[in-house]
Amino acid sequence: MDELLYDAPCGFLSFNDSGIITLVNRTLLKLLGYPSDVLTGTAVEHILTVPTRIFYQTHFFPLIRMHGHAEEVFLTLRDADGNDVGVLVNAIRRERAGVMANDCAVMRVRERQKYEQELLAARRQAELASEESERRRAELEEANDQLEQQALELELQSEDLQALNRQLEQHGIELEGMRREAEEANLAKSNFLAMMSHELRTPLNAISGYAQLLEMGVHGPVTDAQRESLSRIQQSQRHLLRLVNEILNLARIESGHVDYNLADIAVTALVSPVLPLVEPQLQQKGISLEQDLPADLATRADVEKAQQILLNLLSNAIKFTPAGGRISVTAAARGGGDDEVVVAVTDTGIGIPAAMLETIFDPFVQVEISRSRRGEGTGLGLAISRDLAEGMKGRLEATSVEGSGSTFYLTLPAAKPTPAVSNPA
Amino acid sequence: MTDIRSRNNVRVSGTGTQPMVFAHGFGCDQNMWRFVTPAFEDEYRIVLFDYVGAGKSDLGAYDVSRYSRLDGYAQDILDVCHTLDLRDVILVCHSVSSMAGVLAANREPDLFSHLILIGPSPRYVNDEGYVGGFERKDIEGLLDMMDSNFIGWANFLAPAIMKNDDRPELGTELTESFCSTDPKLARRFAEVTFFGDNRDDLKHVRVPSLILQCSEDIVAPESVGEYTHRNMPGSSYRKMNATGHCPHMSHPDETIELMREYLASVATVSTEAGR
Repeated sequence: MDELLYDAPCGFLSFNDSGIITLVNRTLLKLLGYPSDVLTGTAVEHILTVPTRIFYQTHFFPLIRMHGHAEEVFLTLRDADGNDVGVLVNAIRRERAGVMANDCAVMRVRERQKYEQELLAARRQAELASEESERRRAELEEANDQLEQQALELELQSEDLQALNRQLEQHGIELEGMRREAEEANLAKSNFLAMMSHELRTPLNAISGYAQLLEMGVHGPVTDAQRESLSRIQQSQRHLLRLVNEILNLARIESGHVDYNLADIAVTALVSPVLPLVEPQLQQKGISLEQDLPADLATRADVEKAQQILLNLLSNAIKFTPAGGRISVTAAARGGGDDEVVVAVTDTGIGIPAAMLETIFDPFVQVEISRSRRGEGTGLGLAISRDLAEGMKGRLEATSVEGSGSTFYLTLPAAKPTPAVSNPA
Repeated sequence: MTDIRSRNNVRVSGTGTQPMVFAHGFGCDQNMWRFVTPAFEDEYRIVLFDYVGAGKSDLGAYDVSRYSRLDGYAQDILDVCHTLDLRDVILVCHSVSSMAGVLAANREPDLFSHLILIGPSPRYVNDEGYVGGFERKDIEGLLDMMDSNFIGWANFLAPAIMKNDDRPELGTELTESFCSTDPKLARRFAEVTFFGDNRDDLKHVRVPSLILQCSEDIVAPESVGEYTHRNMPGSSYRKMNATGHCPHMSHPDETIELMREYLASVATVSTEAGR
């Protein structure tokens, strides 16, 4: 080896096909920390790290053998102290003195290697990130497919719902029309009834008047049989008149033509004036009346209408209670914070079947025909009473035990509490 | 159906009848055999191929799950044999290919007449009571080194492809394809082979075999070759003068001679057995 190559600014190494080092220059010896040439004649693998030995056998040697040369191959050498030395190798295979020689130029890489490793690390990260993003993309696609499927299902459901909605809207329109028709019919009914009030009462009054004239003998002597008939005519006229009056009342209440004059009033003051009105019937049937009305209890009501309700309840109680029975009128505070007052009318009458308890408040309903016969009435009293109670923001309810009696509860708002007056000391 | 011939870049030559199939090792492709095959062309039908992922194979046919196991490579060998309707095959394997050959022979023993394994190792990583020659970190270091060199892999090969005017004995076609392995797939191949353990497969081999063991082979040390010989029934063992791990490239003459000797000896035996 000439001096020029021996001290060239790059390492030089030559090995034969058996992997035996045949030439090495001083630059490479120095790079690997050998003071003198102890490498010639040894296996090239001695200056390679273990991974590089495999790479040399599987890649580097086959490449140089098959191509005749190799460029910029990165290898890790092992120096005299056992440290790794990264190098780049260019190699060429040529015949020298009848033998094939594999000549290598060896350049140390240090800084470059650092950058390369950074690049490698970055590339590996990028690959991992790419795989990760590919995986996520696949997941997203799957999720998307599912969402699309769900969207499709929702769309179908939505179409169903829209169809249903259209049907409902159609029904709504029809219902609205029906409601309007019903309202119009109701109004027409009320107007009709109001108008008929006059038309009905006039002939009824005439019937009564002329019957009275006949009874008085104005047109000649009246026989007992005729008097009996006249009495029946007048009785029927009164019944019919009461019926007409109540129908007209109900019509007026339901068509909203009734005003309520609400005022605070003590319960005793409300109930007491009603009792004398039923006294004759009580006496007639021998029914006793008990009352328990706390003096400090006050309600807010339209006095006239509340009394009308109470009169109706008492009349009913008397009507359906057999002779010798008992009726009681009691009152108590009720509701959260005692904001309601309940007046209860209890009788020991025939009672009401449970199934009928609600319908008795409907117009023209009486409990069984046989009972209606026994108790005279139009069947409108309770309907009117309930409407009036509700008009005063109250309620009318009933409980009953068939055969032993009924209780009707008129619930009304309590009177507004009077502001506390400070007591001067 | 997949065309195995193009998928595995199958090349057939030779004027003989008995097929001799060559399975290349890790790092290269079928061109690694080019110093050896001409010697057998007169007597045998030479079949060369590239594993999928190597050389001029169809990279599109690469299936990660299939080639994440050595079995996938064994299947490549069997596919090639089947597609050419080969019988009585002499299978020549280098390095990591040897265990793919063992797996193929175990799956279809009747397909093969003999195995010739050059530098085989059933396990590269040391284990309790077993010296494979490497620690795990050594193999990881190899993978890193492959990465480092694959950075400029294209440049690495480009000059070789461009000019070989001064090396007329190297055909253009050969240089073009030599070692042109996809870096990612090569890395996986390395992981599959170098981290594998096929020691248990050796005892099932029913096909007679020749083990060619190099001197001073760092990749497959002598102790490993002897282990393989001891544990593989019907195996002959020849230690070569050739050093290194690639005698078919570094010492093709000795390789050819030992192969011939073995094939002649088994031919004699079978002739005698036939009497």
